[in-house]
Amino acid sequence: MDLERRAQWLRGVLDLCVLGILCRGESYGYQLSQALQRAGLGRVQGGTLYPVLLRLERSGLVTAHWRQGGSGPARKYYRISEAGRRTLAVTAADWHDFTGGVTAALTEV
Amino acid sequence: MNPDVWLSALVKELARHGVGPDLAAHVVAEAAAHLRDSGEPAVHAFGMPERYAAAVAESIGRQAVRPSQGGVVRLEARGITKRYRRRQILSNVDLTVRAGQIAAVVGANGSGKSTLLRICAGLVSPDRGTVRVGGSLGYCPQAGGTSEFLVPEEHFVLAGAGRGLSRARAKADGRARAAVLDWDPDRRQQARFLSGGTRQKLNLVMAQIGEPDLLLLDEPYQGFDRGAYVDFWHELWRWRDEGKAIVVVTHLLNQLDRVDIVLELT
Amino acid sequence: MTKIAVVAEMAVREIVRRRMVLAMLLLLPLAFYLSRRSDHTGQSIRFLCLGLGWALSTAALFAGGSARGIEPRLRLSGYPLMHLIIGRLCALWTVGLALSLPYWLLIRFDQDGVRHGAIALIMALTVAVSVPFGLALSAVLPRELEGTLLLLTIFGLQMLMDPAEEATRALPFWFSREIGTYAVDHTDSGYLERGLIHGLAAAILLTALVATFSAIRLRHRAHVNLC
Repeated sequence: MDLERRAQWLRGVLDLCVLGILCRGESYGYQLSQALQRAGLGRVQGGTLYPVLLRLERSGLVTAHWRQGGSGPARKYYRISEAGRRTLAVTAADWHDFTGGVTAALTEV
Repeated sequence: MNPDVWLSALVKELARHGVGPDLAAHVVAEAAAHLRDSGEPAVHAFGMPERYAAAVAESIGRQAVRPSQGGVVRLEARGITKRYRRRQILSNVDLTVRAGQIAAVVGANGSGKSTLLRICAGLVSPDRGTVRVGGSLGYCPQAGGTSEFLVPEEHFVLAGAGRGLSRARAKADGRARAAVLDWDPDRRQQARFLSGGTRQKLNLVMAQIGEPDLLLLDEPYQGFDRGAYVDFWHELWRWRDEGKAIVVVTHLLNQLDRVDIVLELT
Repeated sequence: MTKIAVVAEMAVREIVRRRMVLAMLLLLPLAFYLSRRSDHTGQSIRFLCLGLGWALSTAALFAGGSARGIEPRLRLSGYPLMHLIIGRLCALWTVGLALSLPYWLLIRFDQDGVRHGAIALIMALTVAVSVPFGLALSAVLPRELEGTLLLLTIFGLQMLMDPAEEATRALPFWFSREIGTYAVDHTDSGYLERGLIHGLAAAILLTALVATFSAIRLRHRAHVNLC
């Protein structure tokens, strides 16, 4: 896969993917990056992920709090908010429409 | 790079980018936790401290905490149209900027950004349209605008005398503004011997002398190194907080989050 | 007043820093003078004066060229148009007069039997004409090389053409030869009068041209309303 293009695509949807994963339960940074990798999005570096989380937090789509982990140091846990769920629902629908269009355009291939 | 070294560099860079101390502490702690969990090298996971700090600063800026309504109108350009040899460069462009606002004019090369600014400054006539300027005006061109055989302080005196500043005041003002851009002007070096970036700093300082109410800047940061570029933007935000109006032509988009108005020319 | 003074001061500083131009200003007239010294008296003086005019016109040409970049923003900084024009003119005229003095003294002590007052007049008029001449050229020809070539042509013509021909009166420095004849050959005052009128007319016309060109270039544009 062309890495440059993939990175472009990812920039457009990373915040949504993060919201999607947080739907299933709260999580912290490193755990999120692992989940994204398992979902098939490849390695998302901390330098990319944390600013996205910061933005989501600032816009009120996620809430965050520090928790003392069971083993080890305190970590910052993120949880999706009501506003986040609403935004996700709407934007996910938009995404399905969008990808439908893209798939249709590429069917000739 | 050793994680501790990277983290302490991050602390410095976050401060430099104007990130508040509380948030900075959280960002650093979170990054430290990530490095511990993942076991990855810091530069691999986050990039250089400077870049990560910049990314963090951008994310904060996006929160339009100050959608500045702005004060009195300093610039009102209406219906600006300009043709140049069969090409329509500007087509009915409007731009209103108030005191306490920064407007960024963006667009590809040749989209008429510089022309628009020159029209607003009154240096070029449009085919149609009007411009109203409230208050004093300072303009910094993309290049040129200096006198090759004069030294920096003489430029300051020239710029200052126009605004009624005494020589001493003008020189002091100039030196202070140069210091903000991390430049200590050599008393004896004529402008023709200055490097490109330094000459642009001279240009920028000249535009600022006398504190005009409206600043029109045409990509003045040509030749600035990264540190000077960051300092330049910080200066603009300070200027805005003091109630000045600024129009910046830029093709670099990464600071768009922290301006009030974006005018895109195609 | 201060604004005019500042503009003038900076214009003088600029010239002084341009070593080549300065050297030319100082040496060209002298070189011309010395080259013709053994000739008939009038020739050396005539060539000195023309050399003075040429050097000063060139200096004014260069000064005008380097001012182009900065004058628009000085306007924006609050300089009235006239102050910019007057300041530059005065600076260059002053430099020209300061330069003429040692040359006048040279002729005074080196040449006998000439009317030194008239020589002084030639030099004064030369200064008065060459400064706006060079500035006007810089307004019309933005590139210094082309301006220099045009100056070369004009001064070449000035030196080569027979001043008795009608056509030469069109050249800006015709008065130099005319008054020169009066000064050296002790002719009637008709030469003096004609030369004086020509010189003054040339000076006034060229100065008006400079003012006009600048006014056009730096004009307050109609589309802008400053409040």
